[in-house]
Amino acid sequence: MTADVGVHAARRLRAPPWLWVPLLIVAAPLLGAAMGETPIPLSTVWQALANQILGAGYALDPIDQGIIWSYRLPRALVAGACGAGLAISGLVLQTLLRNALADPYLLGISAGASTGAVLVVIAGLGGGLVPMSAGALLGALAAFGLVVGLARLSGGGTSARGAAQIVLAGIAGSQLFNALTSFIIARSANAEQARGIMFWLLGNLSGVRWEDVGLALTAVVIAVGTAFWHVRALDAFTFGTQSAASLGVPVGRVQAALVLATAAATAVMVSITGAIGFVGLVVPHAARFLVGSRHARLVPVTALIGMVFLIVADVVARILVPGQTLPIGVVTALIGAPAFAVILVRARCAP
Amino acid sequence: MTGPILAALLALTAASAVGAQPTEYPLTLDNCGHQLIFPARPDNVVSIGQTTTEILYALDQADRMAGNSLWFNAVLPELQDQDAGVERISDNTPSFESVVNKRPGFVPTMFEWMIGAQGAVGTREQFADLGITAYVMPTDCHGKDNLVGSDGTRIAPFDIQTLWDSIGQMAIIMDAQDRGSALIADLQAREAAVVERAGAMNIPDASAAVWFSSAEMELDPYMAGGMGVPAWMLERLGLRNVVTSDEEWPTVGWETVARADPSVLVIARMDRRRFPADDVDEKLRFLRSDPVTSQMTAVKKDRIVILDAEAMHASIRLIDGLEALADAMNGLSR
Amino acid sequence: MTLQAHDIGLRVRRRSLLDGIDLTLAPAEILGLIGPNGSGKSTLLRLLAGLVRPDSGQVTLDGRRLDQMPRRQIARRIALVAQNAETADRITVRDAVRLGRTPWLDALRPWSDADEAHVARALARVDLAHLGDRDWSTLSGGERQRAHIARALAQNPQILLLDEPTNHLDIRHQLEVLDLVADLGLSTVIALHDLNQAMRCDRLAVLQHGVLTAIGPPEEVLRADILARVFGVQATVLIDSHDGSRLMRFQPIG
Repeated sequence: MTADVGVHAARRLRAPPWLWVPLLIVAAPLLGAAMGETPIPLSTVWQALANQILGAGYALDPIDQGIIWSYRLPRALVAGACGAGLAISGLVLQTLLRNALADPYLLGISAGASTGAVLVVIAGLGGGLVPMSAGALLGALAAFGLVVGLARLSGGGTSARGAAQIVLAGIAGSQLFNALTSFIIARSANAEQARGIMFWLLGNLSGVRWEDVGLALTAVVIAVGTAFWHVRALDAFTFGTQSAASLGVPVGRVQAALVLATAAATAVMVSITGAIGFVGLVVPHAARFLVGSRHARLVPVTALIGMVFLIVADVVARILVPGQTLPIGVVTALIGAPAFAVILVRARCAP
Repeated sequence: MTGPILAALLALTAASAVGAQPTEYPLTLDNCGHQLIFPARPDNVVSIGQTTTEILYALDQADRMAGNSLWFNAVLPELQDQDAGVERISDNTPSFESVVNKRPGFVPTMFEWMIGAQGAVGTREQFADLGITAYVMPTDCHGKDNLVGSDGTRIAPFDIQTLWDSIGQMAIIMDAQDRGSALIADLQAREAAVVERAGAMNIPDASAAVWFSSAEMELDPYMAGGMGVPAWMLERLGLRNVVTSDEEWPTVGWETVARADPSVLVIARMDRRRFPADDVDEKLRFLRSDPVTSQMTAVKKDRIVILDAEAMHASIRLIDGLEALADAMNGLSR
Repeated sequence: MTLQAHDIGLRVRRRSLLDGIDLTLAPAEILGLIGPNGSGKSTLLRLLAGLVRPDSGQVTLDGRRLDQMPRRQIARRIALVAQNAETADRITVRDAVRLGRTPWLDALRPWSDADEAHVARALARVDLAHLGDRDWSTLSGGERQRAHIARALAQNPQILLLDEPTNHLDIRHQLEVLDLVADLGLSTVIALHDLNQAMRCDRLAVLQHGVLTAIGPPEEVLRADILARVFGVQATVLIDSHDGSRLMRFQPIG
């Protein structure tokens, strides 16, 4: 009897959120296309999109048309993909490492990806044959390996007492890779302040064009798809790695697949936008607050919130200071840092 | 309109040039709010920055110099002989020790971020502790806060007087006041002439934007801010800068630039190759291929002016830049 | 269904954790695992659950080597209740027990009413049906241990492995858990600390320094010489006048 009530309650809860998925996936990028550095009337935005998608043939200023179709829409799509990808990466890391503070930025994975990307782009590693995102992926995996290895060596790992160890290892890893990135840029720098570093350390979406959209969407679909495929396995990690193994989860294979998919997503996002912090840390917690801890709901909701969060953050970054665009990492940090504090306090209050 | 005022200014400067005296030591003068004392005419001068170096050459002081550093472009052709006799300590930012090792009596720099509270070479105090007098050109400290923004933030619009002051002070310090006055007078005369020439073109409500470079080809570009040296150049020639930020070189989205649709686009040429966009050909390729910038009036009508980066610094090349810009405008009006 | 260990050994960093262990778990038997701290009880349970592969020898389930079976197949037959399995997640008791169905589900076989029935039965079996919707964090230690057992039961296993399930529980909850395990009728290996509780098992295996030093019925194993050698205690047997059962009192050997 009680079981029935539970099932019905679950179904009642489950039905409406699915309607949000297509709605948000369409609406959020449209918001990003409608709002930008300069005010463009909504009717113009609509007409520009109609011209491109439906071939409507409204007479528009080609500059407005270009801004909406070639700048804002791809930028919003990549922001959404990036938000979803980073949020899913954070969720997966938090679940696999049993650590509420895990996220690609805090664990130094983004920093490692930046180093890899900068090695390819600025130091010319691979002689132009290696794509930047491949360099970023290698950097991301190297950073993840280093951080997890360091945490294990210092008596951490996936046990409860490892929680602090892995965050400390992440800080060390971030510092190391950020320093390497700065070093590589500074070494090849000329008589100017090495302001290019800012891009790799803070994230920037202004250079996004349609060429980037395909890569970003592919990466996010793979990451979210991999996570969604493994929702039951992710649930099984609730009581730790050993418990997951005893529930029949092939732990090593699942961890490898998930880490690879999320590191790849992080690397691709970093290679397109630079490192953006706090999305992967804060969004999964917001999603858990809304829909609880079961990954069947947590994975899609985390991806959706991440998508909307970064699109909105990018809109804020463009309109906060008129005539000038803030690095998006500044906006996500402004929102994320206080949210991070809330998580810390809540974690302490938890039994 | 500005003609008579300038003429008056010129007369004033000429008068002071005539009355130039040899410097009396010990010399005390104010530099950006710091009091400097020179007990005697300084030797072993080490210059940090192409601008200070070229001013010293123009003042004929190469024989009193022990080193130079921080180069952006090749030295001016007419100063090559002087440059040949001075050691280049570093192409870029020199280290503190490499500077003080020369036992310099005077270390002038063009940027406060080289010698200042967050100086890349050192702080004024570090130099003072060793009995070395450091000097920052007033062009970079008057009306400017160098602790805000990546290249500093202007509190007040750039004032050309700070350049004349810089040259004048360096001339007094080096006991070369005659040459200093002559240099200033020459530059001022050329400035007046080019301003008059631009005024005669009578281009109504013309606007402009100045693109220095971009960290990545498609990223938001570094544009000249509303109060910096390039903005002064535009204003002097009757052009309105579409960028209004107070920062020296803010990043401004192409969306903002394209919608402002300036009548003229100025792009910087430089020897530096840190970013792909440092190359002026890459800049042109981007402007003509990007779906938005290719629709801008200045691009469609080919009103793109290429200007040397060093001519955008407050330097003796500033008037060269002003002349080049006016030449380009001359082409536009036709 | 028989679970067997054939001469298994495990070394970590040149230190031998387990050595030459032979063990057969008979159907429906409750086998107690006793030994001092660090004697290898938990490690042996992990090997029997197929979580760790032995360096020498092998563990077999009905004659098939565990290390050659897919993990999912093992989890459908063997359930492990480990020590210190905790979570900070906001999760209901029923959701925690639902995890036990993991080895029976995949993309082609999604959650069904049959799974829900297994979960309901498991919750009822450990007498937690009324707490199904409670948050995990609100449970007492005894309730958590029972919920863990319910999760293991939801796996529908034939073999249950329990690692000191009475640890950190007050005495009433200890007895409840032991009664529950005794009533399940599953083949069970249970690691225990309390030797008096161990006497309720069908057979006892004694581990010392990773070596199986004795195995047999409790009254054969809990002999004075073995207790003195393995645990370093002197035991006095007392008879409870209430029901005639044997009790032991221990004193350290001078």
